[in-house]
Amino acid sequence: MSVFQEDLFYSREHTWVRVDGNMATVGVSDYAQEKLGELYSIELPGTDAEVEQDEPFGVIESSKSVAELISPVSGEVISVNEDIEDDIGVINSDPYGAGWLIMVELRDLDELNNLLDAEEYREYVGEEAGTEE
Amino acid sequence: MKTSWRLLPCRALRAAENMAIDEAVFRLSRREALPPTLRFFGWQPPAVSLGYFQKTSREIDVETCRREGIDIVRRPTGGKAVLHEHEMTYSLVAAMDHPLFAGDILETYRVISACIVEALKRLGLTPEMVSEGRSAAGTPLEAYCFAAPSKYELLVGGRKICGSAQVRAGGAFLQHGSLLIDVDPVRAAAVMRVPAAGISGSTTTLREQLGRVIGVDELARVLRGAFEDTLGITLAEEGLTAAEEALKEQLLAGKYGTDRWNLEGKSTPGGEGEPS
Repeated sequence: MSVFQEDLFYSREHTWVRVDGNMATVGVSDYAQEKLGELYSIELPGTDAEVEQDEPFGVIESSKSVAELISPVSGEVISVNEDIEDDIGVINSDPYGAGWLIMVELRDLDELNNLLDAEEYREYVGEEAGTEE
Repeated sequence: MKTSWRLLPCRALRAAENMAIDEAVFRLSRREALPPTLRFFGWQPPAVSLGYFQKTSREIDVETCRREGIDIVRRPTGGKAVLHEHEMTYSLVAAMDHPLFAGDILETYRVISACIVEALKRLGLTPEMVSEGRSAAGTPLEAYCFAAPSKYELLVGGRKICGSAQVRAGGAFLQHGSLLIDVDPVRAAAVMRVPAAGISGSTTTLREQLGRVIGVDELARVLRGAFEDTLGITLAEEGLTAAEEALKEQLLAGKYGTDRWNLEGKSTPGGEGEPS
């Protein structure tokens, strides 16, 4: 079973956001890392890059597929998790902690209203998982 | 009444054009609101394709490719290097939430593999779908796609005959894969910089299994029937839309026709994804 951490926002593209003031940390959800399987490679923007809500900001490769990462927020990338370049497996093992991807200075806090809370996201993927039966 | 999917013409094209067509269909599939699209194709001249994230100099011998007239192209999909010479390649683009593929990555491999299994059975072979990986990680064969069967890859006689790779974005997926008609292990080994014996030991081909070289037209016909009957669909032969043609040309000029993308993995000036 996937973990849906309570204090986070989630996007329908399976990223999570942890908000602290106008700073947001972004990662991929536990559900997404489970579906992708063992991760091999990742491509992320550099610091100072601009990301846009619902637009691609990176690419991730697993044993099964290459998938675009879609940004849950808009703003300027102020930090990138360089540790995952050396050990991408940490996204599989700790997606909400050491496996974070980028930190973004938010341009528009109202955008967070477009995201889901943990319960809504659990229902969203539950519906999605339900169609697989 | 059966649903109709689009079948693009079966042709042997340059590597860059093959990848530009696949990506154009994939990128526009949602916007164009088309049914799933299937294509069978070949490669003329022969080509090596690299996985999206692979480092060219580490995986293949660029000098050998140049000398032998082998094109080099970087795929939009993941996975490892493949020498495309005597093979039938398929590509399938569909919506991620298409009922047949159930929104799950492994399910797409399983469903598409089932179609190819059916085609191989119709040719009189006994294929098996591998559901667990047999990792070649850390061995000299690691870079060579056909050396490491992963989930739902296809083996005949315990050796890989078809390998597949996938990309997912914008609500759609593109999966393509290579069904080996024949292989020259010495040439493949020189390009991939792996031992030829490793290639012969891990892969098999239709020529080896059938005892004859199957014609491309015959193979395309068998595959088409197997896809139609396995999926319960009909395939209607059509071309690209005007928008797909335009995007294909753009991708040829700006991406798949350039060393910058194919060798260095960079699609846009100053873009990310810079292999050393």
